Parts: sequence; structure tokens; C-alpha cells
Amino acid sequence: MTDLINDLRSLNVLVLHRRDADCDDLVQQISRIGCNVETAWPPPETLPANVDVVFVEIKESVPVGMQKLFQDSALNRPTLIGIIGYENPSVLLGLLDLNVQTVVSKPLRAFGVMSSILMARRIWVQRREDLANLEKLRLKLENVQIVTEAKFILMRHHGINESEAYKVIRTHAMSRRTSTIEIANAIINADGLLNNFQLKK
Amino acid sequence: MTRSPTESAWRIGILFSSTGTTAVIEKSQRNGVLLAISEINEAGGVNGRQIEPVAYDPGSVPTEYGRLAERLIAEDGVSVIIGCYMSSARKQVLPVIERRNTLFFYPTLYEGFEYSPNVIYGGATPNQNSVPLAIYLMENYGTNFYFVGSDYIYPRESNRVMRNIVRQGGGTVVGERYFPIDASAEDIQAVLEDIAAKQPDVIFSTVVGEGTVNLYRAYHAAGNDARRVPIASLTTNEAEILEIGPEAAAGHITAAPYFRTIRSSENDRFLASYTRRFGSSLAVTSCCEAAYFQTHMFAQALGRTNSLDTVQLREKLLGATFEAPQGTVKIDPDNNHTYLQSRIAKVNDAGEFMVERELIRPIKPDPYLVNPDLNDRNFKLMVTASADTQQMAVPSSAERRQG
Repeated sequence: MTDLINDLRSLNVLVLHRRDADCDDLVQQISRIGCNVETAWPPPETLPANVDVVFVEIKESVPVGMQKLFQDSALNRPTLIGIIGYENPSVLLGLLDLNVQTVVSKPLRAFGVMSSILMARRIWVQRREDLANLEKLRLKLENVQIVTEAKFILMRHHGINESEAYKVIRTHAMSRRTSTIEIANAIINADGLLNNFQLKK
Repeated sequence: MTRSPTESAWRIGILFSSTGTTAVIEKSQRNGVLLAISEINEAGGVNGRQIEPVAYDPGSVPTEYGRLAERLIAEDGVSVIIGCYMSSARKQVLPVIERRNTLFFYPTLYEGFEYSPNVIYGGATPNQNSVPLAIYLMENYGTNFYFVGSDYIYPRESNRVMRNIVRQGGGTVVGERYFPIDASAEDIQAVLEDIAAKQPDVIFSTVVGEGTVNLYRAYHAAGNDARRVPIASLTTNEAEILEIGPEAAAGHITAAPYFRTIRSSENDRFLASYTRRFGSSLAVTSCCEAAYFQTHMFAQALGRTNSLDTVQLREKLLGATFEAPQGTVKIDPDNNHTYLQSRIAKVNDAGEFMVERELIRPIKPDPYLVNPDLNDRNFKLMVTASADTQQMAVPSSAERRQG
């Protein structure tokens, strides 16, 4: 996690906010911190490449274009930090809709911008890791289900027990230099085909 | 309508302690401010009006600085303040001056990672002194470092930076100890025993206040040789060396923007003026010099605005330059910190800091630099230390380049 602190300066930051005094204060503080910073207003149709963190002003209604910019999941989207001038429910809803990682409030103070970037970055990094882990687990569970189904087919056809069925699958996988998943899938497909033949007879 | 002299004077608040643990250094800073004010007043004041200091003694207690800053603004009607040594004191003053939109000058080196539009920072940030010091120590003494510091934010942050630079240079930190700001003799003894056991090549000290004097003396009394294993510091200054005494102080190293032995016409004038007012310039420190040049820069800006309005003064201060005793300084409009000289000096047998190395030009302050790069081109210039500002330079700069 200390890498997050060391890497702060290599971040590319985009500020989506009108060019006013608040925006200038924020941009100056971000460049004091040492990040590369650019501004864009009105918001562009697509985000520039290589943007790591986006500060975005959130008002009572989030324009459709803005929502489109950030509709991707955290895996394909930069870290988002909301800039708010009001704390009423419409603005809060905007924060939830855009799924920002943290918030800075107006009038902007230099102090706190660095910790906001850091915290938002950490939440974003963790979310990405969580999503990747979730995907890995989902795949694994799917694979377990496939192998189990294939084992049951073998047990039914050959009158063997579960561990013997698994041994059969594994031996085939090893001799064909492939994975148990592929063998299991092949068994399930073959079983489906054979069942179809039986029905057509 | 006639105005009384007090009404027509420009008032400036001063918050330096003359009692408590950091009194020695803070008194030297207060003297720097008072000297600049008397120089300005003797020359006719600013636009015909004298500058009138309003000073309080916070007694080295952090919360007192905040309370007295409030009093300066609310009761004395001051809108410009200069003061503070320790970061903990500055942090108490910060919310007060921001709320009241007062201009605050901070003439002390600190750990960085701060920016307030209301503060003009006159001391060094780590990028301006840590890297040159680390390079010098690794070249001349070795790569095994021992860290000792007072237990507060500045030492811990300085050590974090230093540890990183040392590792980049292939060195190791063999020990790290902190003791309270009001350290006892036993605290220091325990650290000295640990140092003896770990056998470092150099000791990097961020001890501040009275503990400094005790540490150097105890180190000497324990039979250590500073010429072989010196204590290197960013804070140990002329006033403290004076108290430590030449015998125990000789051989130790400090990195700072200013040392009183540097030769320049500005510094000669500064020291002569200081001696005239305070009797002796032996205790002049880099923090005193920073307080001195910041007060002059304030007066310079005031001369142009003819108003104590914070916004107007800041506009004139950002980007302003000044021929300070240390050389040319400039307030960086990007971050309100100051471009400063960077020098490394060793205490000689007479108890005076003699500059060993210096950078060719002032370094840009970079208060938000997490880890300075040991190989930064800006710091390499230091090997070619120029001889013209160096007193009693035995080898010329050309000879040193060859050697």
C-alpha cells in the first residue's frame, strides 16, 4: 500500500469543472502535489487515454453525457472523485449514480486534496482487485460444477464411485495433455449426444 | 487630524519563544526579525511609516502559539505575523490565520507536505537539503547510517526521506531511535550505548532543542571521534554549537541554506548590523537569517502595496526575489515556499561551521516530493563547490574537481 503513496506523482489527473477560481485552486494544488493535471470543460465525449484519476463536478442533475463517460465498471474506468458545492439529496444521489470513490467539497482547500486522491485510489485499487477475485472465484465454481456433472455421468454409466470417476477424468486429461475441465466438458457433450440418439430411435 | 505614532505605524506580530525547550533557536529568529525591523525603521520606515513589532512569548508550548496568534489578530489588530519553529506550533497557528485571512511568515525548515495560501514558507523543505547531505555523507564517511531524533513529526518525516535516499545509494540504516523533546540524560545514554553496539559510519540526528546540546556533549564525553563518525544534522545550528563548545562540536556536519561564515557582501553587512544591535553575531543561525530576509521581503512588498491587505501583499510577494545573506532567494509562486541555497558545513576546531560543499544555484522548493531521487541532476552540481563564497578554502574549486 505504500506504493500508492510513492506512485502519487505518476498519476495523470483530469479535472472536469468550469475554469473558475475553485478549479484553479484545485489544479494548482494537484500540480503542487506533483501529478500531471489537465482540465476539460465542457466534459469531452470520451475520456483521454491514460487518465488515472478524474475530478468531476457533481450538481443536482448529472448530464447524460457525463453518465455515459463513467458507465463502465471499475475495471475499465479511472478513479472518480466528486466535487460538490451542495450536500442536498439530489447532489448526493448524483454521487451514488456516478459511483465516485470519494468527495472533495467547495470552497476548495489545498489541505486534504492529497489524502482524498490517496483514499480514492485505494478504494479503486481494492475494488478492481475484488472484482478480479470475484471473477476468478466464479470461474472456479463453474469448473467444479462441470467436473461434478461429468463425474456423475461416469458413475451412472460404469457403476464406479466418485473418486474412481475423478481418477478416470484426470488420467484422460493427463494422457491427452489437456485440462480436467476439457475432458469433463467432452464427457458432458458426448452424454448429451448419446441421449439424443436414444430418443430418436 | 493628527495620528499618534503608534496609529501611523505598520504593526507586525511576532511569535517566537524566549522560554522553554526551543528558546535558543527561537530567540535567534526573533532577533533576526527585530534586526530587520530596526534597519527598515532607521532607513525611514516603509513609505514614511515605521514598522512596530508586537511580540509575545508562547513559552515553547504549541497550543500557546494558536492562542497568542488569535490575540495578536483580535486584540492587537495585527494582520501580518511571523513566527514558529516546531511544526506542532505552526499547526496550531494555521487554522487561526486561515480563518482570519492573516498573512503568516514561517522562517523555519520543516518536513513539507503543506500549502496554505496564507503562509509564506522561508525555510528549507527536505528536497532542498536532505539529498545533498546524504550524498556528501555517503561519499565521505560510509553507508551505514544511524538515525536519532526527537519524537515528533519533523524527525520522523525527515528520517523517512533520508532512509529512502540512503537505500537508493546502497546504504543501510542500522538503528533508529527517538526520544522525548525534553530528553533526560538516561535517554541519551541509552541511545549512545546502542550506537556503540551498532557501529554506524555516520549518525543522522533530527534532535531539536536542548536535547541537541546534551547529545553532542554526551557523544564526545563517551570518547567518540566526530572526525571518524560524525553526527550529521539539518537543524543543529551556530547557537547550539556555541553552547556545545568547540571541543565536543568539532567535526560534526550540518546542511543548511546559510552559515554565518559564508563570505558575501550581504552577509558581511548582515553580521555587522547584527553585532551592532546585539553585541555579538556568534549565535546567528540559518533560521535567524530566514526570519531576517522574510521580514525584509515583507517590507519590500509593503512598500509596493502601501497596505497590509493579505491578498495584495501576497500578490507582490509571490515571485519576489531578495539578495539575502545566503545569496539570492525567491518566493516560488507555485507553492509559497522559497528557492534557497543548499550548503554543507563541518564544524572546525574553533567551533565555526566551515562550508564544505554547496550547490551552484538555489534549489526550487518541492514540498510535496514523497521520495527525492538520489540521482536528480539538480543535486549533482554540488561537487563543483565554488570557492568565491568560501572562507579559507584551502584547495581551490578546480583542484577539488580533479581530486
